[in-house]
Amino acid sequence: MKNDKRRQKPDRKANRTILMRTLFLMAVCGVAAFIPLFARLYDLQILQHDDLQARALSQQTYDQPVTANRGYIYDNEGEPLAMSAEAYYIQLSPRQIKECQEAYQKKVEDAVKSGDESKKPAYPEPTDQSIAEHLAEILDLDPEAILKRLSKTNSMYEVIKTQVEEEEADQVRTYISQNGLTSGIYIMPSTKRYYPYASLAAQVIGWVNYSENHGAYGVEAIYDDELGGKVGRVVTARDGRGNQMLYRYEDYVDGVDGNNLHLTINATIQHYCERILEEGVEKYEVQDGGFVIAMEPKTGAILAWANSPTYDLNKPRTIIDSGLNQRLEEIMNDPALTEQEKSDASVALLMEQWMNKAITSTYEPGSTFKSVVLAAALEEGVVNENTTFTCGGSVMVKGYDEPIKCSNRSGHGTQTLAQAVANSCNPAFIDIGQRLGAEKFYDYLEAFGFTERTGIDMQGEPRPSDILLWPRDRFTNVDLAVASFGQRFQVTPIQMLTAAAAVINGGYLMKPYVVENITDSSGTILQHTEPTVVRQVISEETSQRCRAILEGVVKPPGTGKQAYQAGYRIGGKTGSSQTIKGKDHTIVSFLGFAPADDPQIVVLLAYDSPKPTEPGGNLTSGQWYISGGSMAAPQAGKLLADILDYMGVAKQYTEEEKATMDLPVPNVLGLSLADATASLKEAGLDVRTVGDGEVVTGQIPGQGMAIPGGSKVIVYLGEEKPTDKVVVPDVVSTGMNRTQAQEAMANAGLYLKVSGLATGDDVKAESQTITAGTEVERGTVVEVHFIESTATGGAETGL
Amino acid sequence: MAQKLKRDLTVQEQLARGPLDMPFLMLVTLLTIIGVIMVFSASYPVALTEDKNPTFYFIRQLFFGGAGLVFMWVISKINYQRFRWMSMGVLAVSIVLLVLVLIPGIGVEVKKARRWIRAIGPLPQFQPSEVAKVGVIMYFASRLSKRNTETPRTISPRSYLSGPYNYLQRIGFLELIPYGAILGVIVLLMMKEPHMSGTILILLGGAAVLFAAGIKLYWFAAGGALMGALLLLMMSGYQSTRVQVWRDPWAYYKTGEGFQIVQSLYAIGSGGLLGVGLGKSRQKFSFLPEPENDFIFPIVCEELGLVGAGIILFLFALLIIRGFWIAIHARDRFGALLVVGIITLLAGQVFLNIAVVTNLIPTTGISLPFFSYGGTALMIQLAEMGMVLSVSRQIPAAKQG
Repeated sequence: MKNDKRRQKPDRKANRTILMRTLFLMAVCGVAAFIPLFARLYDLQILQHDDLQARALSQQTYDQPVTANRGYIYDNEGEPLAMSAEAYYIQLSPRQIKECQEAYQKKVEDAVKSGDESKKPAYPEPTDQSIAEHLAEILDLDPEAILKRLSKTNSMYEVIKTQVEEEEADQVRTYISQNGLTSGIYIMPSTKRYYPYASLAAQVIGWVNYSENHGAYGVEAIYDDELGGKVGRVVTARDGRGNQMLYRYEDYVDGVDGNNLHLTINATIQHYCERILEEGVEKYEVQDGGFVIAMEPKTGAILAWANSPTYDLNKPRTIIDSGLNQRLEEIMNDPALTEQEKSDASVALLMEQWMNKAITSTYEPGSTFKSVVLAAALEEGVVNENTTFTCGGSVMVKGYDEPIKCSNRSGHGTQTLAQAVANSCNPAFIDIGQRLGAEKFYDYLEAFGFTERTGIDMQGEPRPSDILLWPRDRFTNVDLAVASFGQRFQVTPIQMLTAAAAVINGGYLMKPYVVENITDSSGTILQHTEPTVVRQVISEETSQRCRAILEGVVKPPGTGKQAYQAGYRIGGKTGSSQTIKGKDHTIVSFLGFAPADDPQIVVLLAYDSPKPTEPGGNLTSGQWYISGGSMAAPQAGKLLADILDYMGVAKQYTEEEKATMDLPVPNVLGLSLADATASLKEAGLDVRTVGDGEVVTGQIPGQGMAIPGGSKVIVYLGEEKPTDKVVVPDVVSTGMNRTQAQEAMANAGLYLKVSGLATGDDVKAESQTITAGTEVERGTVVEVHFIESTATGGAETGL
Repeated sequence: MAQKLKRDLTVQEQLARGPLDMPFLMLVTLLTIIGVIMVFSASYPVALTEDKNPTFYFIRQLFFGGAGLVFMWVISKINYQRFRWMSMGVLAVSIVLLVLVLIPGIGVEVKKARRWIRAIGPLPQFQPSEVAKVGVIMYFASRLSKRNTETPRTISPRSYLSGPYNYLQRIGFLELIPYGAILGVIVLLMMKEPHMSGTILILLGGAAVLFAAGIKLYWFAAGGALMGALLLLMMSGYQSTRVQVWRDPWAYYKTGEGFQIVQSLYAIGSGGLLGVGLGKSRQKFSFLPEPENDFIFPIVCEELGLVGAGIILFLFALLIIRGFWIAIHARDRFGALLVVGIITLLAGQVFLNIAVVTNLIPTTGISLPFFSYGGTALMIQLAEMGMVLSVSRQIPAAKQG
C-alpha cells in the first residue's frame, strides 16, 4: 500500500501531462494546421484565380485561326488585279513526331517478341533523316533546315513552309498517311495572294507580307483593314499531349471575308503606260527609271500609274529590272563590302523597286510648270492673248548677277503669249512672273496645292514641310524669276499633275484618288468615292483659254510638236530639269492632255536621267537629244493616242490631216473608167490608169484595204494586173522627209502610211514597219514613223 | 465459436463490446466515399491514356474501399488491449519487410527507389512502410503506456559507472534508448530504399506518441534540431533544386522539375469559388501528372472549387478533432497514446499532402488519406481507423445525470 501511494501521485501528474499534450496536439493538428492550408487555397482559388485560369486555359485549348479570305482588288472595269486562293502551311510537331517514332520502335519490338513479322508496320522507320529528306523533296526546302526544326523535340509548332499549293499539300498528305505521321505533321489551311497581271501597277497595288498576312505596300497596305477581313477562331479543348478533344468543348467564331477594292486604275491604260514607259527607258538609256500617271482631269480619278523600275507582285523579293540587277551584281561582287553592307544594299534595291516614286520623290517640274504660271497670269489678267514679249536670248533679273538664259540663245524675238508658251521662252515667263508679283504668284502656288498634300489614298505622300519649296516670307525676286519657269523648287509628280488638271478642267483642283468603291463579298457597295473638289483655282473661261494656248505647244513649231497625233487634239507642255544628283541627271517630262476642247485624260510622263554619250553632252548614244520635247513628248503622244483610242474618243481631223488619213479603197471592178474615177474621188483617193480599155479589170490595192488619203489607186483597164513582188525601199537610213519617202514608196508600187510628226517640213523618217529589202505584194502599205530632224531645248533651258 | 453470454464476459470483454464512436465512424465513411468518387473522376483519363478500361482504377479503389470499411469494422471489434502484445509482432514483421523490400526480386524498383513489395500470390503489391508506421505507433504506445509503472533499473552505487548512469537516468536518456534504436533501424532501412516522405511520417508518428506520453520537451528540441541539421545537409544537390523549384516553380517549368507543381497550381486556381463541376476537370487530361494519386487534391479543387475543397478540409479537421477527443476519453493510457499516434499521423499526412500540392512546402511524395489511389494504403488507413474505433468502444459511458 505504501508503495501504491507513492506511485499514485506521479501517476496523476503523468495523466495530466498526457491530457495537456494531447489537447495541444489536437489544437495543432485539428485547427492550426488547417489555417494555412485554407488561406493558401483562398489565395490560389480566389485571388489568383483569373491569372491561373487564363494560363491553364491557354494550354488546355487549341486556338486555330480560321483565315478570312482577303478581298480582291479589281480595276475600274472589274478585271481582278489581286486575288486570293486557298493555300496551306506545313507545320511540324517535333514532340509528337518523336512519339510516333517511339511508337514505331515499340511496334517493331513487339513484332519481334511475338515472332509475328506481319505485325511490323508496313512502312520504313520514320527517322528524322527520312522525314527531312521526304519533306524537303516535296516542298523544295533544305533538308538540313528541317532537321534543325525536328531536333526541337519540346516544340509542338514548327511551321516549315507557308503558301503551299494544293498539289504539294496533297503529296505531303499522302506521305504522312503512309508513314504513320498523321499526328506529327499538319497541313493547315491558309490563303495565298495572286496577282494575275504580275507587275502591272505594282507600286499602286503593293503586296502582302505573308508572315503577318498584312499588306506591306500600296493599297494592300493602306486598305489592309478593309481587305484583311476578320480572322475567325476555332477553340477546341486539347489534352496534355496536344491531342484535340473535340467531344469536350468547342467554340467557333466565323471568319469574315475581306472587302473588295475597285480601283480607278484601268488595266489596259495601265498596260499602255507601262509599255510606253519601258520602251522609252530602253530607247533613251534612262538611268534612274521614270513614271507615268494618267488621270481623269474632271474627277481626279487615277486611270494608270506606272513606275520604272518595277517588279513582279507575285515575287516581290526578286529583282527583275535589268538595271537594278546589274547594280545588285556590282554590289555582290564588290570585295570592299562586308556581308552586312551587301545585304543592306540589296534591301535598298528592293525598296527602290517597291517605292512609288511618283509620289514619294519630289522633282523639279521645269517647263511643265509654265502651264500653271500661264493660268495664274491669265486669271489675274496681267497678260492676255494679245500681249507680246521680246526675247533676246537672256535676261537680267534684279538681285542676280548673271543673265538668265533662254533655250534659244539667239532669242525668240517678239512673240505673242501663245508663241511664248509654244517656244517655252524663259525670258517671257520671267516677265509674266514679274507682272504677277511675288505675293500673287505665291497665292497661286498655294491655290494649286503645291504647299499641301493632295490627299490621295496612296502611301508615302511626303509632308509639305519635307518638300523643297520656299516659305512665303523668303520668296525673293530671284526666286520668283526662276519659279516662273519651274526651276529651283521641288514638287511631287502627283501635285504637278493635279495642278495641271486644274488648269485644263475648268479650274477645279481635284483630290486625286485610286479607290473607286469598296464592296463586301456579296458585292454590296460599302463605300464609294465621289470626286472631291478641293477648290476652284481659276475660272472656266481662263481654263479654256489655257487649253487653247497649250494645244498650240503640240503644233509645229511648238516644243511639244512630237506629241502630235493626227486626229487627236492634244495639248501639253514639255519639261526638262536637273535632278539633285546634278549634271548629266536630267528629268525629261511631258504633261499632256486630250482632247484639247474637252479633256478626258491628262498624263504626266517623265524619264529620269537619260544617259548622255559624254559628260555634259546633250545626246544619248542613240542620237536622242536629251529634252522633254524630243524624248517625253513623242512617247506621251503615242500613249495619248492609244488611250484615247481605247476610251473611244472620236477622232477629229483637220482638213490638212484628212489629206494624209488612211481611207478604205472601194470596189471599182467592172465599173467604167468614169464611174470608177468618180467612186474613188468620192472616197478621197486618186486614180492612175494602166491600159486603155473601157471597163476596170483589176485594181491595186483591193477592196477594203486602207491607204493614205490622196494616194493613187492603180486601175487596170483590160491590162493584166501584175502579180510579181516588189522590194521595200529604204527610207530610214537616208533620213528621207515625208515627200521623199512618199515618192520612194510610190515608185516601188507601195503606199506610205505616215505616223509620228506628220506635218511640218523638218521631219525625217525614224523607222519603217517593213524592213527595207523585204519582198512584198504590190500595193502593200508601209508605215513610216517620222520625227523632227532638228532638236531644240535641253536641261539648262528648262524646255 | 459460440457467442458468450453477457453474464459470462469479463469486465474487459464487456467493455470491448461497447458502442462505436458514431461521429468518427461517419466521418471516416463519408471521406472514404468522397475519396472513391474523386478517384473515379481523376483516374479515368489516366486509364484511357494507358489503354485501360476507364473504370479500371475506380473499380479497384471501390473494391478496396469496401473491403477496407469491412476490415475497419472487424478490427474495431478486437479488444484493443490485444494490440499490446500484437505490437511486438507487427513491429518485428515490418522490420523484416523493410529488409525484404531492399532485395531485388521482392522489392519493385520504381524511379530508382525500392518502396514496394511486389504482389505475391493473393497479396497485392504494398509498401512495407505503411505497416511500419502502424508497428511503430502500436509498439511505442504499448511500451510508453507502462512507462510510470516500470521500476527503473538500478545499478550498484559502488560501480564507477553509477555517476554518469544516474545522470543519464535522471535526464531521461536511458528510457529513450529503445525507442531511438527502433526508429534508427527503421530510418536507416527506409533511407536505403530511399523513402524520404515515409521516413518523415514514421518519425512524426513515433514522435507524437513520445510527446503525448510525457517525454521531456528538451528531447524534442534536440530531436528537432537534429532533423533540421539533417535536412539542411540534404538540401545540397537534388534536394536543393527542390527548394529552388518550390520558390519559383515557373522558372523550372521548361526543364520539367516545376512542371507538376505548376500544373497543380493551374488546376487549383482554375477551380475558383465553385469549381468547374464534378468530372469536368481539364487538368486531368495529361496535364497534371498523377491526378489520381498524390495530386488528386488539385483535381478536387478544380472540380469542386474552394467551397468543395473547404468542406473536405473541414471534414478532415472534424475527423482529427474527434480522434483526439477519443484519445482524451480513452479508458487507459495505451488507448490514448495509440489514438494520438494514429490521428497525428493522419493529420500530418493530410497537411503535408495539401501543403505540397499548393506549393506551400517543397514537393515530397505523400498521398492524401482516403483520396489517393492505392488499395493497400487505403486498407491500412482504414485498419488504423478501426483501431481508433476499437479504443472508442471502451470509453466509459458518461455518468448518468
